[in-house]
Amino acid sequence: MCLNHNDTAPNPSHFEDSEEISQALAHRDIAWNDYKDLIKGMRFFDPHIHMVSRTTDDYQAMNQAGIVALIEPAFWVGQPRTGLSSFKDYYSSLVGWERFRSSQFGIKHYCTMGLNSREANNEPLAEQVMEILPLYIYKEGVVGVGEIGFDDQTPAEEKYYRLQLELAKQAKLPVQIHTPHRDKKKGTERSMAIALEHGIDPSWVIVDHNNEETVKSVLDQGFYAAFTIYPFTKMGNERMVKVVEQYGPERIMINSAADWGISDPLAIPKTAALMKMRGISDETIRLVTYQNAIDAFGKSGQIDVTDFESGYAVDQTAKFHGNSILRGGQQPAPVKDFLVIN
Amino acid sequence: MSDIIKQKIWKIITSHTSADEAQWLQQKASSTPIDLMTAFVAAPRFLTKKIIDTSDAEKASLKPEIRGFSVDGWSLVRLSRVWLLTQLDPSDQEEYVKNIETLFDTAEMNELVALYSALPVLSYPDRWLFRATDAVRSNMGFVFDAIALHNPYPEKYFSELAWNQLVLKTIFNDKPIHFIEGLDNRSNEKLAVTLSDFAHERWAASRSVPAQVWRLVGKFLNQALLADMQHLFDSEQEDDRKAAALACAESAFPSANYLLAKYTELEKSVKTGALTWADLEN
Repeated sequence: MCLNHNDTAPNPSHFEDSEEISQALAHRDIAWNDYKDLIKGMRFFDPHIHMVSRTTDDYQAMNQAGIVALIEPAFWVGQPRTGLSSFKDYYSSLVGWERFRSSQFGIKHYCTMGLNSREANNEPLAEQVMEILPLYIYKEGVVGVGEIGFDDQTPAEEKYYRLQLELAKQAKLPVQIHTPHRDKKKGTERSMAIALEHGIDPSWVIVDHNNEETVKSVLDQGFYAAFTIYPFTKMGNERMVKVVEQYGPERIMINSAADWGISDPLAIPKTAALMKMRGISDETIRLVTYQNAIDAFGKSGQIDVTDFESGYAVDQTAKFHGNSILRGGQQPAPVKDFLVIN
Repeated sequence: MSDIIKQKIWKIITSHTSADEAQWLQQKASSTPIDLMTAFVAAPRFLTKKIIDTSDAEKASLKPEIRGFSVDGWSLVRLSRVWLLTQLDPSDQEEYVKNIETLFDTAEMNELVALYSALPVLSYPDRWLFRATDAVRSNMGFVFDAIALHNPYPEKYFSELAWNQLVLKTIFNDKPIHFIEGLDNRSNEKLAVTLSDFAHERWAASRSVPAQVWRLVGKFLNQALLADMQHLFDSEQEDDRKAAALACAESAFPSANYLLAKYTELEKSVKTGALTWADLEN
């Protein structure tokens, strides 16, 4: 069902792509029962997913599939915000309610904070957002400034991209770059050139939404290359397997970027299963679906793997707040044989 | 706010931090309000992530200052954040309130926990009443716990309506009410009657009510509530029967004493002190 791009029109994602890619053999969906044994015992880290748009069913399915931690980048919400308070409430929700909600399902929730490129074009509002942003980037569990970069590649986008690179430098935080969908190749090169111009160590920068056309230059210049497995519009998982076969695991990471569009919060475990089927080693799978993201965003000093390596974050939160926390509220209860997408 | 409490908190902090950490805190505490507020936010980046294991002496040192205020089970970051708040200059009330309101407005979950934990030691306590009742409305368990459990602020400042909401929500969330400070002091008839209604709803749904909630009812037993006691005495759960005995023993209502007298073993346990509410605290 993922093969026809034209079927997906009604609900474009936040990074809908205009480029037409042959979808044949680009992506395939896998049912839980067909891959659960392949990924048994694997742990996953999704470094880009927008949980505010997802349901509790997703959280349960993610927990069941072995996703132990995730990063929710600040982005736009599908329509432009009209005032500063909307930004404030959104940022607060990333470190407040959504973080709590995630903990209820045994998944450690981190985020990146930033002014997204689309809304950078509303300059009067962008100015105000820049004023409050420092209050948020130092918060516990904020592992980077992101997702920032270019969309239309306007002067305003460039201005706020540069300002936020400086902010990241000051705060000693990694940068998560959103690369544009239109004119992607040039936009990606430009994003990287500007980051280097600001004296940022490329190993502190995660360039997101790569494809076969951009990856080589990103890796050659020392940046991390993230790939978004997003059916229909971005990378398919079959293509992803080929990228890993060609480039190996170094500085490559996979994410789902699941949001309000037709996207898949289980993109990572499914792609891991596909890699396994294709004979890619367990160690390579571990690097691109878990470890590399931790190494890159861990530079923030905000990721303590003991918080999620034991599997369940519930014990961890309990130790901070006394035994009362295990009472009441929702308890993570994996749904058996649950199919999120079929 | 007394200076003594600040000093006592600081003493606990210094016995659980490295010299560098203590120095960082001291430097931030003596800088501008905005630097201090940023330090409140950034504390986890500079302090060890650990739970403070307070000694008995440390626990005892806080007791005479603010009744019910305790830091047991707190993380170093939480304690340090509370201490940083005590270092904000309160001389200009509006400025002080504005700064703390800003921290509330932009707080993440653990910051909210620290802010609510700090209410008993902040200046101008009545200015935080709305915030405190908002925490009771919170769906974030950690935030709710920070105001409801082991926090002396509600007992002192909540209206009866707000207090009853806090207690009911604690019960509703299946959290242990004996961790609420001032539970006995603030018991009231309205709460007792509402609890009875709540229990009836639960019973109608074939669910149970934690036995210790009846400690809130004993003093207010009347003919209607006595029927609940009978229901509890008839329960298959031993804890329910114990709760009924304890509640009846606390009542000045003669019928309650007659009822209790029918259950001689239980009556004896209560009268001899062998059975207390502490036995039902779980």
